[in-house]
Amino acid sequence: MKILIIEDERELVKSMAQYLRQESYVCEVAYTAQEANEKILLFEYDCILLDINLPDGNGLKILETLKANQKSDGVIIITARNSVEDKVAGLNLGADDYLAKPFFLPELAARVSAVIRRRHFNGSNRIAFHEIIVDLLGKTLHVNQQPVELTRKEYDLLVFLLANRNRVVSKNAIAEHLSGDDAELLDKFDFIYTHMKNLKRKLAEAGSGDYIKTVYGLGYKFTE
Amino acid sequence: MRLLQVSLRSLLLYSLLLVLISVPISFVSISAILNHEVDETLVVQSEQFLKHVQGFEYLEDLERDLEVLDQLTYNTHIKSAPGELPERKFETVRVYDSLDHEERPYRTLSSVVQIKGKPYRLTISLSLVDNNQLLTAIGLVQSVLIVALAGGLLFINRSLSRRLWKPFYKTLDQLKAYEVDKNETIDTVPTRISEFDDLNKTIGGLTERNRKIFRQQKEFIEDASHELQTPIAVFQAKLDLLMQQPGLSESAADLISRLENTAQRMSRLNKNLLLLSKIDNRQFTQTESLQLNALVREHVEKLRPRAEENNLNLHDSLTPVSITANRTLIEVLVTNLLHNAILHTAPGGNISVNVYPAVLEVSNTGTPLQSPERIFDRFRKESNSTRGSGLGLAIVKKICESFGYRITYTFEKGTHIFKITFNG
Repeated sequence: MKILIIEDERELVKSMAQYLRQESYVCEVAYTAQEANEKILLFEYDCILLDINLPDGNGLKILETLKANQKSDGVIIITARNSVEDKVAGLNLGADDYLAKPFFLPELAARVSAVIRRRHFNGSNRIAFHEIIVDLLGKTLHVNQQPVELTRKEYDLLVFLLANRNRVVSKNAIAEHLSGDDAELLDKFDFIYTHMKNLKRKLAEAGSGDYIKTVYGLGYKFTE
Repeated sequence: MRLLQVSLRSLLLYSLLLVLISVPISFVSISAILNHEVDETLVVQSEQFLKHVQGFEYLEDLERDLEVLDQLTYNTHIKSAPGELPERKFETVRVYDSLDHEERPYRTLSSVVQIKGKPYRLTISLSLVDNNQLLTAIGLVQSVLIVALAGGLLFINRSLSRRLWKPFYKTLDQLKAYEVDKNETIDTVPTRISEFDDLNKTIGGLTERNRKIFRQQKEFIEDASHELQTPIAVFQAKLDLLMQQPGLSESAADLISRLENTAQRMSRLNKNLLLLSKIDNRQFTQTESLQLNALVREHVEKLRPRAEENNLNLHDSLTPVSITANRTLIEVLVTNLLHNAILHTAPGGNISVNVYPAVLEVSNTGTPLQSPERIFDRFRKESNSTRGSGLGLAIVKKICESFGYRITYTFEKGTHIFKITFNG
């Protein structure tokens, strides 16, 4: 899977690339709009992470170029401007998603994973991990071919952890993912603990392995 | 007291004083001049008389004639005065006038003269103007003067203040209505008065400069919080990577977790600052017709689980209300009020959300605030909870100010009540 990161802040690019490579994505980088324009015309990417504010131009222009050349790369807009106009303009121009800075890297990974899956596996969009199979279209879980009933939050939690396999995901990132701006109202420890406990119990009852590990003081990690 | 009234009052006082002083001075000087004139006339008359009499010295019985003359004339008397030395004496006397039945003042000159070698006393008198009458006349004239002066000054003052000061009061009214964050400029009309033109020019420059500085400051806040987003994003990303390091000790993990909480707070604070300055910079101008009750319903239902987790009772009474407003900002407004209620209600407390025509009311149980007048101030928190950015209610207030919604906060019977009245 090939990802193009178009972003001028080098430190941020480095961190994004480092995190995404752990998912065995191949990351390429463009620091300017000019570089980006050359790359998108020469290569196909599974997902493009596009910063709207570039030193030499507006990122939305790149989106227009992509569209004009009938490219079907998935695009996630990244911006510091968290403005509705940018969001609407971007989505109207064919972007798949929108992420405001600052963001959690696990959140980025989850969004990238969702975009790639939507683009690549049209029709049967599923994540499989040993005996666990998540159907992203029907939003259902099967463990050992048996359906398992999950609440909406438990399902979101599982998909989020699967998108960040083998990496530590903090409670803050989980809380933000599950409840967005309402996260500030949460007693994060209680909130996540309850959902995690229920998810783990349901997986165990269905005969799944214990893949969700608690990382002391930090959060959780989905791993073998 | 108006400026013109102050100057008018001084002018009037001064004129009154002058007039009052001028009454005795005029009286004294006029009567002195009159007396002097009368004295001169008396001297001339007596010299004329003597000259005439001396012309008749050849008459033998002049002595008899003089006696007759003395009897006949009213103002001139001449009597034989043997043994008296020549002298001249002026006197003012009061004589009873049998015609007018009153005493009249007379000025007399009595002198001893020689006629045919014999001494005679010649007394000539002239009627003087009555002092009382003189005083009355002067007083009357001065009173008329005072009235005319005061009336004239008042009239001129009135018409001046209406005409001359008109541009001044116009500028004053505009200054009163001036708000640094509004875009109305103070437009001044050129006047004939250079001071006013100067004033207007200065005020124009001052207000324009203020507005410019204010705008720059607003833009600076927006730019600054915008620029901060990227470093916070880098910081957050590095923390996410740091967490992946194998073999982290418990204390290191704890530190990372705390750093992440701090990064979260920074991020939330910055987002709210950005939002606040965007509202300030009027970046939310699009309005649409909104079903307020439906929008509130959506947010109440979204937050109901949070309220239940905190063991709070969330009631609502939402009647259909339609308003024309910016959707994003109304969502922020509702969310912030609900967040505030959920964050600041003790477990077991009640939150109630009401929508009725043109009004949104959010109330929650609690204890009275120490300084309720500062509830909408930025970063004003009565508890030292680290949850909440301290900007939520400031944003609510800013939205209301920007769109002319009326917001009130009251505390009644153990309940904090926020009430927003939308304009139509």
